[in-house]
Amino acid sequence: MKNFNLTKYSKPLILLVFIIVLTILRPSTFLTVSNFANVLWSISVIGIMVCGTIFVFLIGGIDLSIATLCGFCAVVTVKTITYFHNSTGGVFAGILAALAVGAAAGCLHGIVITRFHIPAFLVTFATQSIFLGLSMIVTSNKIISCTEPAAFTAIGAKKILGFPLPIYLMILIAALAWYVLRKTEFGRYIYAVGGNATAAEISGINVRRSTVLCYVFSGLTTALGGVILASMTQQAMASTGSGYTNDVITAGVIGGVSLLGGEGTVLGAMFGAVLMGLLNNGLNLMSVPSTHAGLVKGLVIIIAVGFDALQHTDQARKKVKKIVKKEA
Amino acid sequence: MKQMKQSTLRRLISIAMLVVLIILFSALAGTKFLNANNFIEIVRDTSVVAIVGVGVTYAIITAGIDLSTGSIMAVVGMTMANIYAYTLWPIPIMILLGLIVGVLCGLFNGYIIGKIGIPEFIGTLATMTIFRAVTYIIAVKDANGVIMSQPMNISTYAVLGYAIGPFYFVVLAMIFFVVAGQILLKYTRLGTNIYAVGANKKAAALSGIDVAKTRMIVYTIVGLCAAVGSVFTTARLQSATTAIGDGFEFNPIAAAVVGGVALSGGSGDVVGMLIGALFMATLESGVQKLDMNNAYQYVIKGVIIILVVMFDAAYKNRMDRAAKEQGAKEGME
Repeated sequence: MKNFNLTKYSKPLILLVFIIVLTILRPSTFLTVSNFANVLWSISVIGIMVCGTIFVFLIGGIDLSIATLCGFCAVVTVKTITYFHNSTGGVFAGILAALAVGAAAGCLHGIVITRFHIPAFLVTFATQSIFLGLSMIVTSNKIISCTEPAAFTAIGAKKILGFPLPIYLMILIAALAWYVLRKTEFGRYIYAVGGNATAAEISGINVRRSTVLCYVFSGLTTALGGVILASMTQQAMASTGSGYTNDVITAGVIGGVSLLGGEGTVLGAMFGAVLMGLLNNGLNLMSVPSTHAGLVKGLVIIIAVGFDALQHTDQARKKVKKIVKKEA
Repeated sequence: MKQMKQSTLRRLISIAMLVVLIILFSALAGTKFLNANNFIEIVRDTSVVAIVGVGVTYAIITAGIDLSTGSIMAVVGMTMANIYAYTLWPIPIMILLGLIVGVLCGLFNGYIIGKIGIPEFIGTLATMTIFRAVTYIIAVKDANGVIMSQPMNISTYAVLGYAIGPFYFVVLAMIFFVVAGQILLKYTRLGTNIYAVGANKKAAALSGIDVAKTRMIVYTIVGLCAAVGSVFTTARLQSATTAIGDGFEFNPIAAAVVGGVALSGGSGDVVGMLIGALFMATLESGVQKLDMNNAYQYVIKGVIIILVVMFDAAYKNRMDRAAKEQGAKEGME
C-alpha cells in the first residue's frame, strides 16, 4: 500500500472527480456532446498556444509576451486580409504574415536571451509592451472587424463531424509537439538543456540554437492562436488575447510542467488546458460571475501543484535530516 | 574587497543610466520635462512602487518573485473601504486592520511557498487571481448590488495623500521604508539569511538556516509593504475600487531588476531597487512629456528596458570574465 503512488495518478483523478462533481451538480446541461465540444472549442486557442510555449518552459524559460503577441498577430492577420479586399487569397497571405511575425518575434526573443544572457522574464516583459504598442499603432486603437471571406470565418467556426475545426487543429498541433518532444533527437536535447544547460553544452548540444528554436515554436503557436482567435471573434484589436499569458502558463503548470525547466509533457499540458476549460465551463453553468471565478481557479492551481510540491519538500527535508544525522 | 568595489561600480552605473535618461528627456522635451514640479511628481510616482519594491526585492533576493502585490493592494483597499462605508471606527483602526489583512495575505503566500513548497511564480500567480476575486466578492455594492467605487475622502484619511512643503507624505514613508529595508537587509541576521537562501537553498539549510521560515517572513513583509502601498494609493485617489493595483505587480519587479537585483537570487539590495524605481518613473514621465501617441510610448518603453538590461548583462558578463581571469592568475601564482 505504501508503494501506491497517489501523485502519479493525481491528474486523471482530479479530472475524473471534476467531471463527476459537475455531472451531479448539472446533470442535464453538463454531460452532453455539445457541451464537451463547447469546452474543447473554448480551450482550443489555449491548447494550441501551450503546445508551443511548453518548449520554452521545458528549457527553463518563460514567455510573458504571449497575450500581446497573440493580439498583434490577430491584428496582422485581419489587416492583411482587409488589405487584399477580403479575398480568399488574402486569408492565406494573412495567416502567413501572422506566422512570419510570430516566428520573427520568437527569433528575436531567443537571440536576445541567448546572446546577452538576459533572463527571459525581462526580455518578454519588455517585448510585451512593444507588441501592445505595435498593435495600437497598426489599428489606431480601433476594433477592426472582418466578417468576410468565408474561408477566414471557417477557421474558427467550421464544424466537421459535429466538432469545430480549431479542436482538430489543437489535436494536430499537440500530436506534432508530442512527436517532436518524444520521438526526435531535438526533443531529448530540450529536456537535457532544461535539466542542466551547462551539462548539455558540455555533452555537445548546441544550447543556443535549441533555445532560439524553442522560442520560435512558441512564437508560431502564439501566432496561430491569434489567427484562430481573430477568426472566432471575426475581429481584432490591441486587446485581443489579453489574459492569455496567465491562462497558458496556468494550463501548463496545472499539467505538471515545471517552470524551472526539464519537466513536463505535452499530454500533461493538454490535461491542464482541458481542466481549465472544464473549470470555466462548470463555473459558468453554475452561474458564478467571472470576477469570482478566480478564487476557484487559484485554489485549483494551489491544490494541483501543492500535491506535487509537498512530496518534493518532504523528500528534501528527509534528505537534509539524513545528512545532519550522519554528521552527528 | 574586490566584491565591494564591484558593487559600488554597479551602483554608479545605475545612477549614470538614470542621469543619462534625465539628460535625454531634457534635451527632447525641454522645460516641460525639466522642471522642479515634474521631478517632485516623478518622486511621488516612484514612492508606492519603491515601498512595495522593498518587499519584492527581498523576495527576488531569495530567488523568488511575488506576482500578487497588486491584488494584495486591492484586497487591503477594499477591506478599508468596507470599514469606511459600514462602520464608524476611527481612521487609525481602519488603517491598522488594512495592514493586518495585507500581512495575512503575505503570510498565506509565505505558507504555500515556504511550507508547502509551491514554486514562487506559480504560487503567487494563483494568489494573484484569488486575492483579486476576493476583492470583487467583498467589494462595496450599491443598493442594486452593483459594485461601486467607494469614496474615502474624509480629511483625516485623505491627508495621507497631501504634502508638507515639497514632500508628500508618501515620499517620507518611502524614505523610511527604504532606509529601514536596507538596514534590515544588510545589518541583521534575517538579512544575511535572505542572501544565503537566495544564493543556495541547500547550503543554507545545511548550515542551520530555517529556509521555510525565512521565506515565510519574506513574503509576509511583501504583504505588509503592499498594504502600506495600498493605504497611500487609496488616500491619494480618495477612493477604493476593484481595479486598484491591476497590473501593478510588474512595476516593483521591473524596478528591482533594472536596479541590479538579479532574478537568480543572492544579489542586489534595496537602494539599487530605489534607483531602478526612479529610472522607471523617469522613463514613464519622460515618454509622456514627449507628447506622443500612447501606442508609441509602449514601444519606446519596451525598447529602452531591453537596451538597459542588455547593457547591464554585457557589463556583468565582462566583470565575471575579469573576475575569472583574476582568479586564474592568482591560482597560477
